[in-house]
Amino acid sequence: MIHVEQQPWREMVNHASATYPNECCGAMIGGIDGDRKTVTVALALDNVSQGPQAARYELRPEDLLRADREARSRNLELIGIYHSHPDCGAYFSETDLKNSCPWYSFVVLSIQNGTFDHANSWLPDADQTHAEKEELTWPES
Amino acid sequence: MARILIPTPLRQFAEKQDSIELPGVTAGEILTGLTTRFPHLRKHLYNEEGKLRSFVNVYLNDEDIRYIGREAAAVAEGDTLSIVPSIAGGGNV
Repeated sequence: MIHVEQQPWREMVNHASATYPNECCGAMIGGIDGDRKTVTVALALDNVSQGPQAARYELRPEDLLRADREARSRNLELIGIYHSHPDCGAYFSETDLKNSCPWYSFVVLSIQNGTFDHANSWLPDADQTHAEKEELTWPES
Repeated sequence: MARILIPTPLRQFAEKQDSIELPGVTAGEILTGLTTRFPHLRKHLYNEEGKLRSFVNVYLNDEDIRYIGREAAAVAEGDTLSIVPSIAGGGNV
């Protein structure tokens, strides 16, 4: 399961709301204790998709490298990636699946009319054919 | 010797180490050394054709090895290699 602490959760929701009607994306950093992941830092990253950003996001690998270095410098772990789905559900889309990586948790925030609605976390497989839902909690959940 | 950084989720296949020092003068030699030492890492980095998986990028210090010779990229003493995935997606199709 993955838990997002209050401060990073607020930053993720604010980021997703601020970029509405476009998608946002970022990295989640924190600690891992057995099966429990705890996100303590959210890093907003640029959406560099050349397509319509209302329906697409893309991370620069260099930004992810920077996020990993940031995590290591704080003695933390890069746990996952978050992104928003403006005006649609927090499902893991075909596009998400085909462009995913099986190493991380993927938190999707559904933003409806500019306001946070719900969120889910997903664990895609190595073949990019299936994503399993992961239990996600945050302080108000 | 060069250092290769292991992403958190792959450390379980590398005796839980977050980085490893390996000998080699090219990125390919370092990667081969890594997967020889930790064979379970191989399927996470390479596809069945023996090529790096589509979402796997390897950086030599701050440069993507695709632009500096790929696996033939020259590695100097003290260099750092990082394994970084490509990630994208989107909601409405």
